[in-house]
Amino acid sequence: MMKKKILAVLAAACLALTASGCGQTGSGTESGNASGGSSVSGKVVIYTSMYEDIIENMEKELEKKFPGLDVEFFQGGSGTIQSKVAAEMDSGKLGCDILMVAEPSYSLELKDAGILHPYKYAEAGKLAFDYDKDGYWYPVRICNMILAYNPEKYGKDEVATSFRDFAENAAMKGSISMSNPLTSGTAYSSVVGLLDKYGEDYFKSLNAQNVAIESGSVALTKLETGECKEIMVLEESVLKKREEENSKLEVIYPDDGSIPIVSPIMIVDEAHCANNNIAAAEAVEEYFLSPEGQKLIIDGWMYGVRSDMEEHPYDSVTLSKLLENTIPVDYEKCFRQREEIRTMFQNDVTIPG
Amino acid sequence: MEKKKRFYFDVKWLFIIAIVAFLLIFQVFPLVYLVIRAFMSGGSFSFDAFARIYSTEMNWTCVLNTLITASLSMVFGVLIAFPLAFLVGRTNLYGRKLFRTLFLMTYMVPPYVGAMAWLRLLNPKVGTLNMFLESIFGLSEAPFDIYSIGGLVWVLTTFYYPYAFITLSRAMENMDPSLEEASRISGSSPLKTLFTVTLPLMLPSIAASALLVFVAAASCYGIPSIIGAPAKIYTITTRIVDYVYVGSADGLTDATVLAVFLMVLALVILFVSNFVIGKKDYITISGKSVRPSIVDLGKWRIPITILVGLFAIVVIVIPFISVFATSFTVNMGKSVFEEGNFTLKYWETIFSRSSILKSAGNSLISSVWAASLGMVVCIIMAYLLKRTRVPGRKIPDFLITVGSGTPSVVIALALIMTMSGKFGINIYNTMWIMVIAYMIKYMLMGMRTVVSALSRVSPSLEEAAQVSGAGWLRRLKDVLFPLIVPSVVAGWFLIFMPCFYELTMSNMLYSDKTKSLGVELFLYQTYHSQQTAAALAGCILILVAVLNFVMNKLTKGRFSI
Repeated sequence: MMKKKILAVLAAACLALTASGCGQTGSGTESGNASGGSSVSGKVVIYTSMYEDIIENMEKELEKKFPGLDVEFFQGGSGTIQSKVAAEMDSGKLGCDILMVAEPSYSLELKDAGILHPYKYAEAGKLAFDYDKDGYWYPVRICNMILAYNPEKYGKDEVATSFRDFAENAAMKGSISMSNPLTSGTAYSSVVGLLDKYGEDYFKSLNAQNVAIESGSVALTKLETGECKEIMVLEESVLKKREEENSKLEVIYPDDGSIPIVSPIMIVDEAHCANNNIAAAEAVEEYFLSPEGQKLIIDGWMYGVRSDMEEHPYDSVTLSKLLENTIPVDYEKCFRQREEIRTMFQNDVTIPG
Repeated sequence: MEKKKRFYFDVKWLFIIAIVAFLLIFQVFPLVYLVIRAFMSGGSFSFDAFARIYSTEMNWTCVLNTLITASLSMVFGVLIAFPLAFLVGRTNLYGRKLFRTLFLMTYMVPPYVGAMAWLRLLNPKVGTLNMFLESIFGLSEAPFDIYSIGGLVWVLTTFYYPYAFITLSRAMENMDPSLEEASRISGSSPLKTLFTVTLPLMLPSIAASALLVFVAAASCYGIPSIIGAPAKIYTITTRIVDYVYVGSADGLTDATVLAVFLMVLALVILFVSNFVIGKKDYITISGKSVRPSIVDLGKWRIPITILVGLFAIVVIVIPFISVFATSFTVNMGKSVFEEGNFTLKYWETIFSRSSILKSAGNSLISSVWAASLGMVVCIIMAYLLKRTRVPGRKIPDFLITVGSGTPSVVIALALIMTMSGKFGINIYNTMWIMVIAYMIKYMLMGMRTVVSALSRVSPSLEEAAQVSGAGWLRRLKDVLFPLIVPSVVAGWFLIFMPCFYELTMSNMLYSDKTKSLGVELFLYQTYHSQQTAAALAGCILILVAVLNFVMNKLTKGRFSI
């Protein structure tokens, strides 16, 4: 096992050297472990489901940090990325080097498929969340599923303050909305968390409430216009509106717990990656996990993953406060039972009840 | 003499073979591969996947919903488009040019943006139009509910009747007036002439336009996903996308299996419409005058103009105003006129954000390619269909219709699987895979326009040129092409516009270098900011309107969309 890994690292280093060409100096030999980003070059493509505004900001910072490296982002919902990757796998090679998707069950699947590259992050002990012990994936940002309402249209006493109430309070009937777990990884994880906590009946109740299944931005607009009283949505999308548009929409941290979803970062192995630039991919991953990179995540209204950082998103609670009351998500279950759960959701929620 | 004949080779075959080969490689092969994949899901041939998919009740509901919404949209679409095309093209209605432009404008708006506009106007709780009607008529509840089959049909119809309008008005304006004149001289009223002469003459075009509306409505994703899904009304396309998004290999297979239904549906419709057209093939352009007479509406001129105006206001002006108003509103929960709620920042964003400008450039380039290559294919294939007796000449037409009837997401998947190097062609992550996807999906509009133009040009004109010694290319250039040029330009735009803001396929095919405007627009619409999306859609609309105006002026009214 160990031998294999050494071989892999060696192979990666060799490839990186050949890829970077003769014009480069020998300073890049430390490859992945180098903390300075300036030594890597070439190109790295990242598939991600993060907001475009955040990516734009990250691109600038990455350019400063890695002047010789061309980092490209491909932005799409988890559903788009997964079907794109599935189709690409059919042809043998992926179009990216790094994936930053919504939730770890997809990492487990790709690890099983044997297309991920293991990387040992030196400061993994400082991460506040579970990570893959072999280094196949690390948490890099937390997307927090909460409830939101519009105080300009309805009082807080008129809306549900827990996920349970959200599905059972008859006054909310026909006025609630959530994202589609088929297209959104965070929505899917939340469904699994709620399923473990409340069982399948929870979704039958949601159906009886006539919950609308639609994308986050459509739901937020409906919240603004008053068409929806309350929505299940990612905290970051509300915080973003509050900071950028001075919106009055408000976050409710549900009484029965928020659902923080651990969004991973992972590297595609040599055999399947687009640019054979493992050294650069490792450097980029390390950067995202470092306090410096985490700052970008937090500026993008998502929670960071390091226990040694105090910063938290605009207008939010601190990470430690958030973690006091949460609904846990079993990602292994997310992975193993994906189709059953998705089918369950389709049957229970999308068919008129 | 005999020797000469044996070595005789018509240059047209070179073109025809090249295009057929193109269709075979880039359309037939990927789609066939996908179908085979559906049957071979377990490694060997089996109907398992079919049995699984079509034994699910939910899927049958989707099939039914698709059939109902697409058929109703087709019926209403043609019922609206025919009188409008007649009034605008053949009567002395006031403001004909303005109306014509207005009716085509809907075609220039991405359906998902329009669907959002209707959602804001007609949702039962706070829909602007609903509230307005409630307060005017003192109703106790909202008169309309967009979240229903009716709502879905309404939005589908308002977005796809222009397909029929375009086809029908082209046919109408090029009709030989002598038949109608004969009817009028023999004492028939204008109305009787309409029903006994014009209508029967238009039958092939009506069938063709009905087909277009049906296929477009049945394979549409944006509208049912925005209007239908919250109402739990699912169609085949939303279901397919769901299956695709399950993300597993099985999901792909299931999607494919369901997609086969849409393909079969397109085939059946094509067969039926070909049957109708095939039985009644009129040639209505002779070598002589092609200016149809204008029917005087008499005392009905003003009332009818008002009626058409009302229609335009409801179907076009109001939703467009809604889109524009959105683009200036900070908080969608308040009126745009409220203090501090008006902003230009979304318009600034679309002109300053580099990713939007880059995407617009990408889309412009790829849709110009798609429309231009598409028209070349369409013209030559239409020629093959209408001017030769080659066995199998209907096959390309058939393929183009099948392509258009295939859900975008299926085309995209098939292309990714077959065009990324596995079979020797690797155009994945380049612009060309998008150009090809666009062509497969949207050539039909161009093809129909050219075919209907061709079928209205009598071959005698070409025969005259041939007798005078003109070769095939020369005949095409000097005789046929000038006669059908307005249709060709129209067809070009009909391919160009939907490609320009195409979403579903671009969404799966784009790479960082080839991100398209549609993807950008949809991301803003569903992910970042609806207001920015509205500004972007408004901007596209203005651009198209200006372009149309300039073209119209430059060519003295010969070309307009």
